[in-house]
Amino acid sequence: MNDSTIVTDSVKRFKWVGTRPIRPDGIPKVTGRAMYGADLKLPGMIYGNVLRSPHAHARIISIDTSAAEALPGVKAVMTSADLPAQKFDYIGPERVAVNFWHVTRNIMAREKVLYEGHAIAAVAAISASIAAHAASLIKVEYEVLPHVIDVDEAMAPDAPLLFEDMISRGIEPVPTKPSNISKRLDFSMGDVEAGFAKADVVIEKEFKTAAVHQAYIEPHACVAKYEADGQCEIWSSSQGHFAMRALTAQIIGAKLGDLRVTPAEIGGGFGGKTVTYLEPVAATLSRKSGLPVRIQMSREEVFRASGPTSGASMKVKIGVMKDGTIVAADGLFKFQAGAFPGSPVMNGCLCAFAPYEIANARAVGYDVVSNRPKAAAYRAPGSPIANFAVESVLDLCAKEIGMDPLDLRIKNVARIGTPTLGGPKHAHAGFAETLQALRNHPGYTAPLGPNQGRGVACGYWFNGGGESSATIQVNNDGTVLVATGSPDIGGSRASMAIMAAETLGVDYNTVRAIVADTASVGYTHVTGGSRVTFATGTAVVNASNIVVRDLCKRAALIWGVDEDGVVWEDGFAKPASSNVGDFKPLSLKDIAAKAAATGGPITASNGVNAGGQAPGFAAQFFDLQVDPETGHVTILRAVAAQDVGRAIHPSYVEGQIQGGVAQGVGWALSEEYIYNAKGLLDNAGFLDYRCPVASDLPMLDAILVEVPNPTHPYGAKGVGEACICPPMAAIGNAIAMATGVRMTELPMSPPRLLAAMSA
Amino acid sequence: MATVVFTSGFARRYTSGVREFEVEAKNMRGVLKAMDDLYPGLGEHLEEETTVAINGEYHETGYFQPVPPGAEVFFIPRIEGG
Repeated sequence: MNDSTIVTDSVKRFKWVGTRPIRPDGIPKVTGRAMYGADLKLPGMIYGNVLRSPHAHARIISIDTSAAEALPGVKAVMTSADLPAQKFDYIGPERVAVNFWHVTRNIMAREKVLYEGHAIAAVAAISASIAAHAASLIKVEYEVLPHVIDVDEAMAPDAPLLFEDMISRGIEPVPTKPSNISKRLDFSMGDVEAGFAKADVVIEKEFKTAAVHQAYIEPHACVAKYEADGQCEIWSSSQGHFAMRALTAQIIGAKLGDLRVTPAEIGGGFGGKTVTYLEPVAATLSRKSGLPVRIQMSREEVFRASGPTSGASMKVKIGVMKDGTIVAADGLFKFQAGAFPGSPVMNGCLCAFAPYEIANARAVGYDVVSNRPKAAAYRAPGSPIANFAVESVLDLCAKEIGMDPLDLRIKNVARIGTPTLGGPKHAHAGFAETLQALRNHPGYTAPLGPNQGRGVACGYWFNGGGESSATIQVNNDGTVLVATGSPDIGGSRASMAIMAAETLGVDYNTVRAIVADTASVGYTHVTGGSRVTFATGTAVVNASNIVVRDLCKRAALIWGVDEDGVVWEDGFAKPASSNVGDFKPLSLKDIAAKAAATGGPITASNGVNAGGQAPGFAAQFFDLQVDPETGHVTILRAVAAQDVGRAIHPSYVEGQIQGGVAQGVGWALSEEYIYNAKGLLDNAGFLDYRCPVASDLPMLDAILVEVPNPTHPYGAKGVGEACICPPMAAIGNAIAMATGVRMTELPMSPPRLLAAMSA
Repeated sequence: MATVVFTSGFARRYTSGVREFEVEAKNMRGVLKAMDDLYPGLGEHLEEETTVAINGEYHETGYFQPVPPGAEVFFIPRIEGG
């Protein structure tokens, strides 16, 4: 079932692109036979267990592993002493800089534990229960230190310091004293003060958002098998097995060529599985024991020890003219990084005002450490957080000047050539078309009942490109194999097969797409940043085109004509003209049957570093009803319009949008990390960390707006992230309409909303 | 000619605060070399620390990217991931 509308600029020109074939990974998943990270069992395999900190902040005085090592059945014990030292430096790969001095300390604590759940040691034993018992026998002597959880408190001059030598970067003059502020960022354009001076209306508000987890269904899990010759194989559930190979190699001090990582099926990631927690630990325990080791996190470990996204404290000020023109915008964004530097605050700064043309704008960001698990990516990292503040203030501006909130956004929408706060000018269209599509939705002008409200918000995400690889093999019976290095989280196997079938001109059902291991296909960056359909898709189309040229060459050989006398049309090699001769067209299957005679296997590979990705833009409205007695919010309708470029498989695109909206509803209304006075997490489980379930939501309407990206062979744009940006503000804006109360802190849970309504 | 632009923070660190430069280059290799000639060592910083927008289109900072005549080449910092 789908409730989507497709708004497209063209009549259908494709045979397979834009169709909805049944998902190729569906049967193994619904029959329970798909192999996820914890499903692999190898002969002789033993089980790992990680000892984690019970304190939010403590110095490690000593670690005594002797009792654990002496326990019968224990095969290996490790601490950070088993991992090589790392240089303090922010280095690649791709558009993300990583500091391995921090990463290795997050995987296994060294001088201090910095959050509850921080890994201290690990054991491997012949059973999971022996491993757990052995871990409990490890004696750790701590000096418990004062802790800090809240971002504003962490920035205070007298706050407990996580790193006693951390001097803030980006502040001039350079501070002389350490603090928990890792970095300050500052982006500006125009004259912000002059802009505010001429505004008819200026509104300023402070906001707070809670840390929320990606809440993927499958906990982190992996198996590692380290051989005596230094070769190591790893099977893991991640968003990038090449990234897991690179991170693991760096952390354990191995060569890339000695590691082979095979991707398991993945039960959700949403950004949280682009980093490593377990693979270096399992590899080290396997090296020490000589046996394959499996480690899997419990749900509680996922909450306590893997990265949520940042919570934040923000102040946003926007000035508008009476006609709706935004003349100035200013944002202060303070993001929790967790225990180590590296929140997505830069993204928050750069995305905050990106959907709009604003002549005078500034964004100042702070990356702040505190005693929480290290923040990890979560769908459009940083953008939804800043978006909550900006889109809430825009709603207030619209109300103040008496303008429809969607019309305010339409009036200021960014177009090709509009400057961005980061510097580059927008190079792609699609924003205005998306806003208009939402405006045209009949629900937008439908009447509302008592205690009901309607809220609007927009969102922006860069979308990603970068390095991807694909290999095409044509089998002798005419079936086709497409191998890529992109773990399939959002339906990429179907999309890759569609694009290959379209390019080759063959039946989609003859194409099988797989995710190949690191030894079987070229380097491919993570499945993240909404990059796969764009970047890996480009590699697939390029490889398919190489195969087409090869097929034409072989047809020429079969016919005994020159290569340039053959063209490929609708899946057949045909004579380029009647002068070439009168030959019956040859299909891919016909030529594949003659592969041996015409030169051997038909295969082609392609690697790209794809650039020119178009950004994602989303606009949504929510209708909801507030129960004035309980503060409970019922979502009545959610309509999500998004510029999708070209929907290669529209059902998957709708799924991405609906998933992003559903996660945004949780972020808005119920999800949060709750810490007690000792700095310990009180709700590390799905019973107390409340994600929305199907019964909480109406059918989510997706409007797919197709403004093709000219830099992709079929016009694809990333679709997985912009959709999670608007819901928090749209829901807050709808609550304001329904109740007259402006909520400035997430989640807008029943007790918090009830208290605000009663104030 | 292409116009090379840096963020203010990057310019403060590496180019004495100068944010814009005119360079002759047909591809990013040429841009990086031209900037390295002006400020020895800058090319490596650009390769290691930035991503680039050529006329607003985002790319990895790789040698092979064509730079059309009159293009704006805007370097922005890489995202910090941990």
